[in-house]
This record gives sequence, structure tokens and C-alpha cells, in this order.
Amino acid sequence: MQITMLSRQVNLRMPSSRALAPYLGLLVLLLLWELITRLKIYPEFIIPPPRAVFDTFVQTLLDGRLWTHTVTTVGQMGIGLFLGLVAGVALGYLIAKNHMLEQMLSPIIVAIQSTPVVAYAPLLVIWFGTGPTSKIVTCMLTVFFPMLTNTVVGIRSVPPSLRDLMHSLRATRWQMFTRLEVPAAMPILLGGLKLSATLSVIGVVVGEFVSANAGLGYLVKLARDSYNTPLVMVAVLMLALIARLMYGAVALLEHRLLAWQSRSRRQNSL
Amino acid sequence: MMRAAPIRSFVGLLVLASLLFAFAPAGAQDELTDQTFFMTFVPNIQFASIYTALEKGYFSDAGIHLTMEHGDEPVGVDLIAAGQRQFGLVSGEQVLAARANGRPIISVYEWFQKYPVGIVYPENSGIETVADLRGRVVGIPGRFGASYTGLIALLAANDMTESDLQLQEIGFNAPEVMCVGAVEAAVIYVTNEPLQINNRAADGDCGDITGVEVFRLSDFTNLVSNTVATNEETAANDPDLVQGMVSAFDLGVRSAINNPAEAYLLSAVYVETLPLPEDLETFLTAAAEAQATFLEENPDADREIVAEQRADLLASLQEQFDADTLLQFQILLASIELWDADQLGYSDLEDWETTQTTLIAMGYITEEQDVSAAYTNAFLPAEE
Repeated sequence: MQITMLSRQVNLRMPSSRALAPYLGLLVLLLLWELITRLKIYPEFIIPPPRAVFDTFVQTLLDGRLWTHTVTTVGQMGIGLFLGLVAGVALGYLIAKNHMLEQMLSPIIVAIQSTPVVAYAPLLVIWFGTGPTSKIVTCMLTVFFPMLTNTVVGIRSVPPSLRDLMHSLRATRWQMFTRLEVPAAMPILLGGLKLSATLSVIGVVVGEFVSANAGLGYLVKLARDSYNTPLVMVAVLMLALIARLMYGAVALLEHRLLAWQSRSRRQNSL
Repeated sequence: MMRAAPIRSFVGLLVLASLLFAFAPAGAQDELTDQTFFMTFVPNIQFASIYTALEKGYFSDAGIHLTMEHGDEPVGVDLIAAGQRQFGLVSGEQVLAARANGRPIISVYEWFQKYPVGIVYPENSGIETVADLRGRVVGIPGRFGASYTGLIALLAANDMTESDLQLQEIGFNAPEVMCVGAVEAAVIYVTNEPLQINNRAADGDCGDITGVEVFRLSDFTNLVSNTVATNEETAANDPDLVQGMVSAFDLGVRSAINNPAEAYLLSAVYVETLPLPEDLETFLTAAAEAQATFLEENPDADREIVAEQRADLLASLQEQFDADTLLQFQILLASIELWDADQLGYSDLEDWETTQTTLIAMGYITEEQDVSAAYTNAFLPAEE
């Protein structure tokens, strides 16, 4: 009884120290950064002090520039991510179900997937124009392939015994899809979504780097061209923050959607 | 004991080999200073003077083993400012913007004596002065870079502003956009797009346009364009190196101006896509040899005579070759017009001041600086 109590106390304490760890890492990084600038290892125009970056952050936040560019990037990223997910899941499902389709499309998919998006992004700008469409398409293509691959793997990982069980219960196609395939493939699908969500930031920024009038990628380019290194860092940190939030949102979704899995594991262990 | 002798021999050989290795290559190659020269864009004929200097050994004569590196200009500026590169091509506006943001770089050779930007417009379009562009749709690659800076300066020199035009961002597609009639004029590089549009017009492939004219910025005012830049530390602490670099660069420019046929042929080693069919190569080789002989016999030939020879050469080429084959050679000749001056590489204070005024008007820099600190003519070769 005492042992159980003790382990509970330990468990209660553990999460708080774990929760603090990332902040501790961040603090160490900040201190290291400050130290490097104070020791003047690099000139300030290469690595500006944290204070200069913070001041630029506040300034661009107050004058609305940071918000405008962030909204542009997030908007394009959201649409690109959504379209890429829908297309990736839909085609992935069809490929998982149809080997002929897989054989037909896999050489093309592998060829495009293995080509860095930055290599064909200039073509997308020529084809889709310098407006938001080219950025959305770049983002869409970036998230499409991991989602497609994970969908194929996810659907094919459904145990045949469960399929047989569903068949024996005379399940319809729709029931098979909603009651078996989607829940069974969910962990792998969410893994793909996690990857896609972070990649979507890269996709949209690549598009904005090639040609844009707004967005955080454009802000990085603009700041670099005007030799404003603190502003480059503000935009980069903003992108990192967006990517982290996206990852966090999917992790939260994963936690909610896969709660049943953890529950069943606990029940099985009991 | 029996094995000691072979081991000793082996060690002896090793020592001997090391000594040979250490001393043998101490020849000419080791006396050269390795330098990576930062350049913008990609290898192309507009860098012909650098290729000429390399191929004719001007850099190695100056004790420099030069490697070229291409990249984005701001990256190059930061590398030079941080001392990771010592030399590179940087435009005047970037020198000023970089200095305004704490980068200690300095221009030591003004390669382009005239700013290469202008506005192209169709002949017989009713446009005769810059003021005639008021209210018209004018294409521009974008509101950035040299094109935009040049436009603002050109308009300012004619008491106009951006709001007097209907500016349309068209990317670097002026020939296509003009030929379909989507814009009435376009901001361009004078060495390039007008030639392309004229060629298309001559082929009847440019809509209603039969030919084009250009308002050149340099006819109204001048900004500082491409320069050779270094960092202040190198300029102050290694003047011999800077002198050597500038002298070699200058010889390359001089050589390309005097013998463009030779410069074109030498550039073919570096520019993969340079058109050089066998008949053109034969023609240019003969022209280059003839010009070399002329220069040997007339070492004091003045600028006007050499310019006439370039014009004659182009006329002869045009009789035998089509416009597409000659386009890159024409770009070289047009570039030479922008390099040529009574004193090559010389920087003029007024041009730097105009550049600063333009940048301030654009909001690119906010405060005036002492522009005389941004450049120096101290390393230019002495005039003969």
C-alpha cells in the first residue's frame, strides 16, 4: 500500500519536472546565445543579441507587420494543408485498395516525392502565377506525399483477421471503412498528419521565397535583402513557433482520437 | 634484429618522401593566394571580363588563385563583411544599404560605369519623352532590386514618381509581356531585353511591335551599379592584395573592351549555354587574332577607334549569322558600353550621392551616411 502511494507521489511529481524540461532547454539556448554575442565571437550582423531580436519582435508586432505576414502564411498553409490531406488520403485509400492503380502511379509518385520541392517551386510559380495559388499548391504537394504514403500503409496494416470478422458479420463497405479501416489505420494516419503539419510550413515558405509580396518567407527575404538580421530571426522564430503549434495541435488531436487505444491497452494489462 | 634494417630503410624513405613533398611543390602554384570571388546570378556572358582575366592569367600574375562562386547578393555581402570572403561583385546600392546596417564593406572598383537599367517602349507608339509615360501601363520585374531602384531614379530625374505610372509586376518576362501587348513599356536591363524584343520584332514574332527604343537611366542621371567590393579590414591591412585584385580585374575589363571576340571565345569555357557554332567560332577566332595584331601595332588606339571596330565587327557578324546566334555576343557588346570609360573602374562621388538619395526616397535606407567612405579609387591602376 505504501509502495503504491509512493509511486503515485513520484508520478505526480514527474510530469511537472518533465514539463519544465523544454523551458529549461530554451533557457540554456538563450543563455548560450547571449554569451556568444557578449563574447563577440561573431559580429552582431551575423548573430544579433537576443535583446535586439526581441526589440524587433515587439516593434513589428506593434506596427502590425508581423501579424499581416503571419496571417498570410498561416492562411496559405491552412488551405494547402487541407487540400493536400484530402488529396493524399483519397488517393492513398484508392491505391491501398487497388494494386493495379498502385503499379500505374507508383513510379510517378516516387519520382515526384524524391524531388525536393524547392527544385520545382519556380515552375509552380510560372504555372500558377505569383499570387497565393502557387504557394498553396507548393504546400499541398509538400504534405500530399507523406499523407498518401501513410494512408496506404495504414489501410494495408489492418489485420486480415479483423476484415474476416467484419465480413462474417456482413458489414457493408461503408461500415468496413468507418468501423474498421479508419480506426485501425488512425495511428499511422495521425503519424502522417503530424509530419504533414510540420512540412506544410516548409512548403508555403518555399513558395514565398520564390515569389511573393507577403508572408513570413517573404519577410525573411525582405529582411535579408535589407540587411536586417534581427528581423530575419524574428520571422524564422515565428515560423518555428507555427510549426511547433501545428505539431502540438496534431499531438492533441492524436491524444483525443487514440484515447480508446490507451484505455484498451490499460485494460489488457490489467 | 634481422628486421631492423628494412624498417630503418622504410622510415628513411618515408622521411625523404616527406621532405620532397614538403619542398617540391614550393613552386609558382604555392605562391598564389587562394581567393573565392563572390558573384551574383549564374555564369553568363556579362561576366566575360572576369573569364578573360582568368584565362589570360591576369589573376595568377597578380599572385591570386581565383575561384568563382555564385549566389544571392545579400549573402555575398555578409560573407565579405564577416571576412569569410574578401572580394565580390556588389552593386552600389547594396554597398550603401549594407554599410547603413553595420556591414563594413567598401567598393574598390566601379566595374559598370553606367547603371544598366532603362525603360523599353515600342517605336511609333507616341512615346517620345519619359513624361509621355504618364498614365501608361509599365511593366517591372517587381518592386525590388536594381530595376526598381533604376526606375525610381529615372522618374525622379524627370520630376515624376511611381504614382504617375500604372506599374504592373511582370517578373523577368518583359519580351513576352510586351509582345502580347499586356504592357505599353517595361523596365529592363538595357543590355538584354531590348535586344531580345528587337530580334522577335524582326522575326515578326512580337505582335504589332516593329522595333523598340529605350530611355536609359544613364542618359538622365547615374547610379552606382556593379562594383568590386572588399571589407574594410582587407582594404586597410592588405593593400597589396586589393591592388593585385583590382589590377587583374581591370586588365580583364580592358581586354574584353579591346577585343570582344576573344573575350567571347574565352567565356565559352565558363558559360555552358553560350552559342558557339563552328562557323561562328572560326569567324570570331579570325577576328580576335586580327584585333590582337591591331592592338599590338597600335597600343595607344583610343576609345573611339576601338568602339568603331566593335561596331564594324557586329555589322560583319550580322551579315553572316542570324539574330539568335548573335544575341549573346550583342549582350556582351552592350555590356562593354556600360563598362567603358576614360578611366575604367573610377568612382564618382556624385553617382554615390544620387544612389543614396534614391535609396532614401525608396525608404530602403533611412539616414544619410558619409558616402565617400563607401568607396575608394586608391587601388585603381595608375593612368598611363
